[in-house]
Amino acid sequence: MTKRLTYLDNAATTPVRPEVLEAMLPYLGKEAFGNPSSAHRFGRAARAGVEEAKRAIAEAVGAEPNQVVFTSGGTEADNLAIIGAALAARDRDGPFRVAVSAAEHKAVLAAAHAVKHLGGEEVILPVSASGVVDSGALDAVLAEGVALVSVMWVNNEIGTVQPVAELASRCCDAPPAPSGVLFHSDAVQAFGKLPVSLRDVKCALLTISGHKIGAPKGIGALIVRDRKAVEAIIHGGGQQFGIRPGTENVPGIVGLATAAKLAAQEQQALAPRLGELRDELERRVLAIVPDAVINGWQSERAPHISNVSIPGTDSEALLMHLDLAGIACSSGSACSTGAVEPSHVLTAMGVPRELGVAALRFSFGKDSTIDDVDAVAAALPRIVEKVRSLATVLHR
Amino acid sequence: MRVLVAMSGGVDSSVAAALLVEQGHDVIGATMKLFCYGDSVPDRPCCSLDSITDAKLVAHKLEIPHYVLNLEDRFGHDVIDNFVAEYARGRTPIPCVRCNSFTKFRDFLSHADALDCDAIATGHYAIAHDGALFRGLDRQKDQSYFLWGIDRGVVTRMLTPVGELTKQQTRVVARRLGLVTADKKESVEICFVPDDDYVSVLEQHLPADAPALSPGAFVTTSGDVVGEHGGFARYTVGQRKGLPGGFDEPMYVVAIHPATREVVVGRGAELFRHAVSLEEVNWLVEPLGPGDPVWVQCRYRARAVPGTIAAKADGRIALRLAEPVRSIAPGQSGVLYDADERLLGGGVIV
Repeated sequence: MTKRLTYLDNAATTPVRPEVLEAMLPYLGKEAFGNPSSAHRFGRAARAGVEEAKRAIAEAVGAEPNQVVFTSGGTEADNLAIIGAALAARDRDGPFRVAVSAAEHKAVLAAAHAVKHLGGEEVILPVSASGVVDSGALDAVLAEGVALVSVMWVNNEIGTVQPVAELASRCCDAPPAPSGVLFHSDAVQAFGKLPVSLRDVKCALLTISGHKIGAPKGIGALIVRDRKAVEAIIHGGGQQFGIRPGTENVPGIVGLATAAKLAAQEQQALAPRLGELRDELERRVLAIVPDAVINGWQSERAPHISNVSIPGTDSEALLMHLDLAGIACSSGSACSTGAVEPSHVLTAMGVPRELGVAALRFSFGKDSTIDDVDAVAAALPRIVEKVRSLATVLHR
Repeated sequence: MRVLVAMSGGVDSSVAAALLVEQGHDVIGATMKLFCYGDSVPDRPCCSLDSITDAKLVAHKLEIPHYVLNLEDRFGHDVIDNFVAEYARGRTPIPCVRCNSFTKFRDFLSHADALDCDAIATGHYAIAHDGALFRGLDRQKDQSYFLWGIDRGVVTRMLTPVGELTKQQTRVVARRLGLVTADKKESVEICFVPDDDYVSVLEQHLPADAPALSPGAFVTTSGDVVGEHGGFARYTVGQRKGLPGGFDEPMYVVAIHPATREVVVGRGAELFRHAVSLEEVNWLVEPLGPGDPVWVQCRYRARAVPGTIAAKADGRIALRLAEPVRSIAPGQSGVLYDADERLLGGGVIV
């Protein structure tokens, strides 16, 4: 008998959806493998795929097709937005300064840090205990003058939702008139789980990623409302208006478009279903471990992420035991695996260290069912007991 | 039986895991992360380290789970801090002994218990058999010398799958199974000491004006000052390098006096001792006492010599040696065997 496997790490990545794979296949094989910049029929076939993909993505996020810039993923899109906007500001003698929230993904934090290395300034905006950006700090940096403010739509570790519409408006209304300060949002975790439309939000730049929504790894996009606002950070041919040169990853682009279209269509039905699964999981975890803490419970949260601290344990040992029980989840962002430090997001929210190092992130996806919740609830009591007694031994 | 295997990413522990899988055990692999490898590159996770990657690849090939156990804090306290403190008091420590006693065969075992494992396994060249520990079959590779300090109760729960192989045979098994670590170079350095430069580790951990790293005098055994050294922690009993010249025969470090910062130099003949005292003594058998004969090994690469326990008190023993032993260095291990090469126990040389 093979053990039933439970995948609750959809915020880390998802499998490629069959519809996506099917849409991509012609662009991998002899039918449409061409270079979209080529003048011949092979090139035209590939170009058609890219242009259709831009239209589909634009429609899915409420933008225009020529605002879609494809990248190798969320990290590159975030880097292009932040470093690209800072360099563009420097070139027009604007403020060579970017402001990002303390709870951002490392891609954003590290890109802001890179701006500092290039001679600019990084401003880290503190977040409250509920993970929301501090309003006073934002006002201060807007008054001082800044090239770009970046605040993620949904936090990848905790699932908390930022008031992006309001933040974007405040940036747009800030000096200099008429267009104000650029606002970027990393919507990698939001897209497909919340309604994400630039028609409602005055976001100048938006990051999405393929592999979180059933497209392959290695493809993402930055929506750029005004191309003059961003300078290229890698250099090459003139593809994608020169903002992101390099031969387009046509199969990836087609896959991203297909997944984005499906994600936008399904979002309304998916969100409440995942929210119910998440709530049920949290009810059961709290019943098993009454002193567990749901991180970010005070704030509005995306439906698919639950971040739970189990006092007296450590994430590393919990993950190991859960994996042996056939349950895959994570301790926060996958990048910090192996490090003993609590997640920077929990730290920024003021979560005490002993809870920070004992956090688990369960994240649901379209294939999740109540069976997954049952599996966690069945395995958890014994695992918590084991890990707690291990901690007692190791911290004697 | 469920076994937790300590996989360092080297060939020996890779083969240990592979043999246990072949024997039909329920094997879980784990790599202990004992110190931070990448502090020169902030924000770079240490999990990208090559040795962990190698262990993961081997585990994947063997179709067993693999985890990284972070034991940095405890290893730092039990092993690295002690390593520094020992050099600071003029001794020459063996961190691998403390790592086995505290980390590999104690903390690691706690993890094994939590995972409901019946046993733990390592790639040590030593043989655990029926609650007794013996030298590894390959005498060139025998690592029993480093195991004297482990808890006696662990011996019944440890497996040593490569202990009865030669290093060559281990590599043959690794190649037969197509393990990526088959032809990996042997690591002979202390894992947390980069480029074999232990002084730089001491410099990181000790204050700049620490006596161990401050200048002091070279003196002869008759008390004549013959030069100045840059810190007694740079010297070990038996060392020949870095000493003042001008003598009619080769000179060696014969003693270190931390209180006066003196490094005592003497002729080769002055390095021999007929007795040795051990502290922190640990037994892997029913404790022996005065009058009992043992075989004593005072360095990893040295030959064991016959001896007798002369006195015993408070976790210390004094041993008489039937033949003189060269370069007995305080801080190294005095390890006791019986005539059948069974490891009886040992202690830290005083």
